[in-house]
Amino acid sequence: MKMISTLLITVLYTVFVQNLVMSAGLGMSEAIRLAAKPEKFRSLAVMITAFSVITGTICGGLSRIPAIATLPFAGRAAVYGGVLAAVYLLAALLLALLKPQDRRLRGTLGIAALNTLVYAVPFLNEIAAYSFAESLFSGLAAGAAFVLAAAVIGQGAKLLANNSNIPPIFRGSPALFLYVGLISLGFLGFTGTSLFQ
Amino acid sequence: MKEQTPGFRVSFLKSAVLSNPVLVQMVGLCPAVAATTNVRSAVLISAALCLDLIVTCVLASALMKRIPRAVRVALYLGIGLALICPLLYFIETYTLMNLGLSTKVYLPLLAVNAVTALHCEKVAVKNPVRTAFSDAAAVGLGASLVFLIIGTLREVLGSGAFAGIDLDLPISLKGLSLPFGCFILLGFLAAALQAFSPYLRQAQTREPDAAQPQPAQADVQDDLWSDILEAEAVSNERLAALDEFTERLIGGEEDAQ
Repeated sequence: MKMISTLLITVLYTVFVQNLVMSAGLGMSEAIRLAAKPEKFRSLAVMITAFSVITGTICGGLSRIPAIATLPFAGRAAVYGGVLAAVYLLAALLLALLKPQDRRLRGTLGIAALNTLVYAVPFLNEIAAYSFAESLFSGLAAGAAFVLAAAVIGQGAKLLANNSNIPPIFRGSPALFLYVGLISLGFLGFTGTSLFQ
Repeated sequence: MKEQTPGFRVSFLKSAVLSNPVLVQMVGLCPAVAATTNVRSAVLISAALCLDLIVTCVLASALMKRIPRAVRVALYLGIGLALICPLLYFIETYTLMNLGLSTKVYLPLLAVNAVTALHCEKVAVKNPVRTAFSDAAAVGLGASLVFLIIGTLREVLGSGAFAGIDLDLPISLKGLSLPFGCFILLGFLAAALQAFSPYLRQAQTREPDAAQPQPAQADVQDDLWSDILEAEAVSNERLAALDEFTERLIGGEEDAQ
């Protein structure tokens, strides 16, 4: 029971309290890209979740090996980056063998794997000292956090585009930045931080 | 030499200012939001981004044109790590600089930043080395400029200090140190850029543009990162019609309707 509650807390913390997209801008470019291509929402979200889980879990396992655990931070960063590159290349190879004609999906694969959100998951697992199971759920939650953020940004972009009351110099990226800022402020509410202390 | 200077000026104006990677194309947001809470971090992140961007773009243009795209994007990560990890190790080991946790984590993340991948795939592998270098330098400077402005504003207004020196300001806007404050600052900076864009475009048209980068257009549909450009990049012509950018952000949904 304690294990389940710990995993649940890990998921809720990663999705809401420390939503990686909204609180750190991780994967923000990809989230905005999804606003333009909603038909890719499912495939990109699934891929990002899968890469987060696989990379986070492998790196979590590797970080328990004494030779890697004792490396300086820069060394561990190189190891995690190597793992990410290897996982991506393996996935690209599998996709080329299984679906050789699907070039669009291969393009999406690169964007889903090589982004700051997926690469940040092993670091966050390390900082939080997550166990193997927690690392697994943290990866899943990172994917869920991305889906939530991308959905919110997509809906916001649609509303902003249809709003003719926005002054001309704020149309486009300025309005979207302000919108994302306000949503990020909303997510800050989950942390209990006060701006007036 | 005399002919190259105006070319770079035009290239700089276009790639660094009018199509600023952070404010207009909306890429490279992760380092802007999370790692530029003070001037020192902003300088460090800017230097690392410029180094990564320029070296990767030059190598991509010189050596990677015949390598399959799927392998190429993994190589960008490899080059980024080969540059940034030793830099991080050097700073930690041989200098007394105490990097904050966020700067320490976000430095390696620059190896997978969208700015590098976008410009390597869109410009570097389709153009000669000189053009790739020119574009990478201009884009790097443009992003660095935004990081430095944001870093300065966030430290001065959010913490009441500049480069660690206490300014003893009567008030501090703590929110600016937080991610939401950075997004709001970025929004106002982007709006300021849009307000000045018409004047900058006029200045650009007065310059000779023979040496400015001309990304190859072939195979655009299959480009790995073309979707990002379709959604986020505002071309020089489209800057004239600011509305189009937002419309394109939701173009897919409108088509579906």
